Amino acid sequence: MTTAIERIRKSVVGSDGKLAPLRVMAASGQLGYGIPDPAFNAGLERKPHLIGADMGSIDPGPYYLGAGKMAQSDTMVRVDLAKCINGARKLGVPLLIGTAGSAGAAPHLAATLDMVREIARRDGLHFRLASISADMPRDVVKKAIRAKKVVPLGEIGALTEADVDRATNLVGQMGIEAFQRALNAGADVIIAGRACDSAVFAAVPSLLGYPMGPTLHMSKIIECCSLCCTPGGRDTIIGTLEGDSFTVDSMNPTRNASPMSVAAHSLYEQADPYAVREPEGTLHTKEAKYEVVDEHRTRVSGSRWEPATQLTVKIEGAMRVGERAILLAGSADPRVIANAKSITAGVEKIVRELTPPNPAKPYQIIWRVYGIDAVFPWPTPPDPLPREIFFMCECIADTAEEARAVATVTKQYLLHHGFPGRLSTAGNLAFPFTPPEVAASTAYRFNVYHVMDVDSLEPLFPLHIEEV
Amino acid sequence: MKLVDIAKVIRSKNAGPTTLTLDLLFNDEAGFKAACASKSLTADAIAKLYSQPRAKVEVLPYPPALAIKIVMPRRVVSGDPGDSDVYGAQQHGPMLAVEL
Repeated sequence: MTTAIERIRKSVVGSDGKLAPLRVMAASGQLGYGIPDPAFNAGLERKPHLIGADMGSIDPGPYYLGAGKMAQSDTMVRVDLAKCINGARKLGVPLLIGTAGSAGAAPHLAATLDMVREIARRDGLHFRLASISADMPRDVVKKAIRAKKVVPLGEIGALTEADVDRATNLVGQMGIEAFQRALNAGADVIIAGRACDSAVFAAVPSLLGYPMGPTLHMSKIIECCSLCCTPGGRDTIIGTLEGDSFTVDSMNPTRNASPMSVAAHSLYEQADPYAVREPEGTLHTKEAKYEVVDEHRTRVSGSRWEPATQLTVKIEGAMRVGERAILLAGSADPRVIANAKSITAGVEKIVRELTPPNPAKPYQIIWRVYGIDAVFPWPTPPDPLPREIFFMCECIADTAEEARAVATVTKQYLLHHGFPGRLSTAGNLAFPFTPPEVAASTAYRFNVYHVMDVDSLEPLFPLHIEEV
Repeated sequence: MKLVDIAKVIRSKNAGPTTLTLDLLFNDEAGFKAACASKSLTADAIAKLYSQPRAKVEVLPYPPALAIKIVMPRRVVSGDPGDSDVYGAQQHGPMLAVEL
């Protein structure tokens, strides 16, 4: 039996070695939030040579990586996975999924694989399933720290060996190399741990010999699906590689990819619009040309790939900070609103006296007054002041009970805090429900966001093959 | 002339958990050029608006999309205790009041 990658090779590589157009379908920009059927089915009708989907990101914050939990609901992940697996099996093309389970560490990968096996059993599907782990061996990272081969990405401080130990999960972003190993091993379905989103879509074309510049640029554009269109959206998109260019074509006919909208997508969530760094090299888009094909499609050419002289892996880790409890309450009293800052400071002082922090592991109290400056640290209060404000008081303590104790004491003293000129002596707060203090799970923070020089990528991203 | 009157998109987002990026997209060449030439959108001016050291703010015109990208460090790493905006998607407020 031929493997999935051999079937694609047969269909696109001519006897003269020339490459026919390759259709790459991006099913979902974040698997597990629902894939609209009309565009997904329209995509399948185009008979793509492969289907890819990204399932995670570092954007949703440190909790998911730290706790080993998915951001998406299990129910929705099952629905989306089943849709993609059935679609790919029907066409007999490979399905590649990156950053399994939101953050791509071992627990996320295991949970996703369990769902894949369950779907295969339920739907009577049989295929070769590849999984690729992305958990970084801690001794390897520590050795790299000692060899000064780890640098911070932005303002996060130098990585220490203690940080490596403290991270509950520590992953690296795999590149196209890992996916290609899985394809060469005959995989039909590839579920990868933490991965570069572009690698999901670039692995097949680069293995077949399509030029790397357009391949990587196309992958970067389509990984968010139809977000590169006007109006942007979540619908399935197809990128077609042809010679030295590629075209993008949303499977939702109302979402048009214009030269401007596609070019603008190069800005999205990127610090540098002209360069995208991957483990194996850098994509340069400075000379890229964006041209109209028709009112729905755009062709892009001229992007350039520069292979890396040094292989690198972006590493990410999150550590536990403590247990979090929050207090939620509103106020519609103009005098409470005008005095919000002094009231919260006064209440915090009392709370710290009544619930003395453990000196070894002191708790933190964090106030956010929505309506005033909770989202942005405005230098001056709004003028006029708002009619209503919302207090969120957060406590992070060593134990959940301690956090709850602080939040409940805060509730009571904030409710009844006296201040000069107070009129509403029955209570300063409106609680939308009770209990207004809520246990908010374990708090984590990113303590690793660095890039590590490596000699070889393969040993860091081990491949496992199984027949389901 | 206010920035909001000539920009079609004014947005902010993380570019990774340590970096904040603002994108300003314009409707036409004239708006883009006016914005590029404005003293209100220099790194100095943006640094003041966001209370950042001047050296940490970059302003990058991106002609293919008639856009200006602004890049600066986040105040705290995304999701750290005390963060106010994990995705960084609501940090564009000060740009809305910018006069060109």
